Amino acid sequence: MLATKAFPAAHEDLIHDIEYDFHGRRMATCSSDHTVKVWDCDENDQWQCTASWKAHNGSVWRVTWAHPEFGQVIATCSFDRTAAIWEELVGDQAKDGKTQWVRKTSLVDSRTSVTDVKFGPRHLGLQLATCSADCIVRIYEAQNVLNLSQWSLQYEIQCGITCSCLSWNPSLSRMHPMMIAVGSDDPSPGTGGKVHIYEYSENSRKWKRVEIIPVSTEPVHDLAFAPNVGRSYHTLAVASKDLSIFSIKPLGKESLGSGGISKFEMHRVAEFSDHESQVWRLSWNVLGTVLSSSGDDGRVRLWKANYAGKWKCIQVINGNGQKMSTTKDSKIVTVTSSNNQIQRIYEVKPV
Amino acid sequence: MATERESETVHLNVEGCPDGKLQAIWGLGNQLFAFSGSTPNTRSKGRPAENRAASDICDVRWNTEMHTSITRKLVNETHNVFVMLQGQVASSTGSNLQSQMVMSSKQYRAILKACSMDLMHMAETCEDEGERESFEDQIQIFEMIQLIWGFCQILFIEVTPDGLLLNQLLDWIKWHFTDGKRLAVDILHDEIPAEHPAYWEAIFRLLLQGEVDSVRKLLSLNTSNQNEAFLSVDELLRKMPQWAHYHHALSAAEFDMKWRHWRDECQRRLEEGHYVAFPNLETLVMVLCGDENVFAEMKDMCGSWYHLLVSKMLYQNPTVRAPDLHHYAEACMEEFTLSGTRMGELDNILLAAIQFDIHQVIKDSSAFLSTGSWWFVSHFTDLLHHCGQLDTQNLAYGSNLREFLLLEYASSLMSHKSLWQVGIDYLDYCSVFGRTYITQFINHMSLDNEKKAHKLLHICEERNMQEEVQTICKVMGMKSLRRGKLGAALSWFLRSRDVTATSKLTERLIMEYSKTGQFEYTDILDNLGPAMFLSNRLTFLVKYREFHKLYESGETNKAASLLLSLLEARLAPRTFWITLFKDATPLLESKEVIFNSGQTYVLMHCLEELRHELDAKTDISQKLTDMEKDKLDLLQLCLTRNLSKAIKAEGTVKTS
Repeated sequence: MLATKAFPAAHEDLIHDIEYDFHGRRMATCSSDHTVKVWDCDENDQWQCTASWKAHNGSVWRVTWAHPEFGQVIATCSFDRTAAIWEELVGDQAKDGKTQWVRKTSLVDSRTSVTDVKFGPRHLGLQLATCSADCIVRIYEAQNVLNLSQWSLQYEIQCGITCSCLSWNPSLSRMHPMMIAVGSDDPSPGTGGKVHIYEYSENSRKWKRVEIIPVSTEPVHDLAFAPNVGRSYHTLAVASKDLSIFSIKPLGKESLGSGGISKFEMHRVAEFSDHESQVWRLSWNVLGTVLSSSGDDGRVRLWKANYAGKWKCIQVINGNGQKMSTTKDSKIVTVTSSNNQIQRIYEVKPV
Repeated sequence: MATERESETVHLNVEGCPDGKLQAIWGLGNQLFAFSGSTPNTRSKGRPAENRAASDICDVRWNTEMHTSITRKLVNETHNVFVMLQGQVASSTGSNLQSQMVMSSKQYRAILKACSMDLMHMAETCEDEGERESFEDQIQIFEMIQLIWGFCQILFIEVTPDGLLLNQLLDWIKWHFTDGKRLAVDILHDEIPAEHPAYWEAIFRLLLQGEVDSVRKLLSLNTSNQNEAFLSVDELLRKMPQWAHYHHALSAAEFDMKWRHWRDECQRRLEEGHYVAFPNLETLVMVLCGDENVFAEMKDMCGSWYHLLVSKMLYQNPTVRAPDLHHYAEACMEEFTLSGTRMGELDNILLAAIQFDIHQVIKDSSAFLSTGSWWFVSHFTDLLHHCGQLDTQNLAYGSNLREFLLLEYASSLMSHKSLWQVGIDYLDYCSVFGRTYITQFINHMSLDNEKKAHKLLHICEERNMQEEVQTICKVMGMKSLRRGKLGAALSWFLRSRDVTATSKLTERLIMEYSKTGQFEYTDILDNLGPAMFLSNRLTFLVKYREFHKLYESGETNKAASLLLSLLEARLAPRTFWITLFKDATPLLESKEVIFNSGQTYVLMHCLEELRHELDAKTDISQKLTDMEKDKLDLLQLCLTRNLSKAIKAEGTVKTS
């Protein structure tokens, strides 16, 4: 049922983030060892590292890919208070398949560690949002998509609370104005709800806060909007003390509040404490139908909604974080079905 | 009510840092990367050096059952059946449609059976223990699916006009339970059949399946076959009314009477003690009478409660109708549960079918049979939907059950390198979400090569997805640019109608020309047609190329006026004007007058403009070098000389 392949990541320290590009054939990893590596999947489905470079002067927290119609572009953010944008050099590849990535610009506006960086949805042009521990979300835009050295800081959103993660609403529909959700890991309960939702108002040309999710008062470690495949509502997953999934339904133009901001009907459609510990990372699949969550219990869980809209866990992946005694010929992956007691062992060859 | 299976736990050994916790990121389709990553705790505090270590990334993929070479055949062939079925639904109605449905159902089952046989063959010839086990698992699941499908086809799809279904049920049982037949074959080949240890077992098994002729044959091989008792039984069997023979001639009621009459005869003979000498024969006739107790003994010959059910119906109530089956079903199930057999998933599904609870059937099948693949439930539900057996109202997520399952199935095909096209076809038949799913998948589909890009473009154009066409072309253009293939990039950008990218690229081409004096992409430029008007720069480049062609073919006048119009229209980038003037020079210097005075004035005006602009630049690096100043002066001289030539020529009266 599962096919797995493991390969060494070759970072010298903890990996903080891995992101696939849009097509799932390239991947970028970033780590506490200050470097970023880019990997390519070749015809035999093997992953090869095609670039590796020192990107920052501190741990690199996140990496994100831009849509390929802008070329091969990634952005990284780091503990060294900067975010950077990198582009792959055009031209002949070196004999060993390695490519060169060049820094196009550094965004140095933040006074504290930049905790998350995300490119905006493609149809909005080339926009980038960063959030930092100094409570500000900054939105940059590339003035000329063919010359990526020029980015201008378009908006600064004061969130009033230290930010740990952000997510653009990827909705393809033109009817939905731009929306960003920001999560905070401020530990004090006095600061209220830790998930803020901001929307861009065309009328006033400003980003305004439209919602604070009231039930989310624990520090938030990650949040993610689900890709919207034509539903009339948005789905937002929030990782904090447990995993919550919210459905956010815009109520339409008639019910615009004062100041012309949209109103929403918000429900928590699921809440899971299966991890029995803090939930750290979330990731949606391409269709927004399956969510993966990673928790402090060292497990990854996959969640899916059935046709009646009820979410449940469909798979649990348990990782063994210990170093194995190094016989590098093959790794054994044990796949256990817990309910019918069958144990199968697959051999996984390293790349 | 069946409980749903708990989630399976999968254990992965991901080599990683002791501090790291397992995390995962999605790829395309059903693909995840699992890695040992950081948590905010580990980020903020300092960590001892020995905890810093390399970790591994694990590439995890699942739901790939349908991706193996054997099941791929299943996918492709059932795809054909599916598409044909949708077409027939759209065009036929009534009884014609029903027969099409039945045929489609049979086709699906036939394909499934063939796939099963392939798997069996693979399992036999397979050497790897683990692989063989997975084949066998797969075969088992397929067997279950075939059983369920056959049963449901009888109940819901192939509904006979009179509502009687015993014959179909008998066929179904005979198809799936072949022990009786096999034993009979063994026995027939034996030297002394009647002394074969399984002789009576075979007879009873066949009897319970209604194989009356085979039973008679086996009985005739008995040593006592001339005995009166045997002859009597043979007669009873011979006269047993079977619906298959009568259903054209008699109505159900008439047949029922005939049958009761026959059964009464069996009863009479039994009570009169005709078979006392042969206990086995007595049991046999008791079965014929439909005696309740004897069926309890026979249940081992049946092997399962549904077989028992059909056998009972054969001898107790052959004109049973579908809605009445469930009265008898529970009693049969009890026979088995009382003796300790546990009811499994399959049994629950069949029971739900007997109770006509289609939704439960689908729900249970989804829960138990589709952890590997959505193939079964999606095709099955689609068929039931078209038979009108399903509630078509929309569910909370926005569409109906059929669509939900088809979406799941199509999604599971998307990550495969060739089955994705099949997936897209299925999505076409999902009226609510199909299109957005297709859009989403196409946006993320990797454009590995031109062929795939063209395929995707074709798919988008067929479905009128203009935006996706543009995006694909832009991405392909960027890719070509990355590889240095400027000509290909240009044609992609043109197709995407992206003005900015086209202009930028054209400027690059123009710069290259001015450096090397060579045109590289002449084929593309020559065959652009109206596309060249997409960008000013491009129009200029094409016309400039035309100028060169005219010049080389000696049509200097045309070339000259074209050059002039290029300068006048200000199509060229300013930086290129010097080159244009250089091109003009040979024309100016030639003996004939090519540029007349009017045209020369225009040229001079342009030159002045150029000079002004270049002089006005305050940026020192852009100021004219001396060499360039000289060039401009030289040009000025050329123009003046031409002017005088022209004026002279125009002023001269031609003597005849």
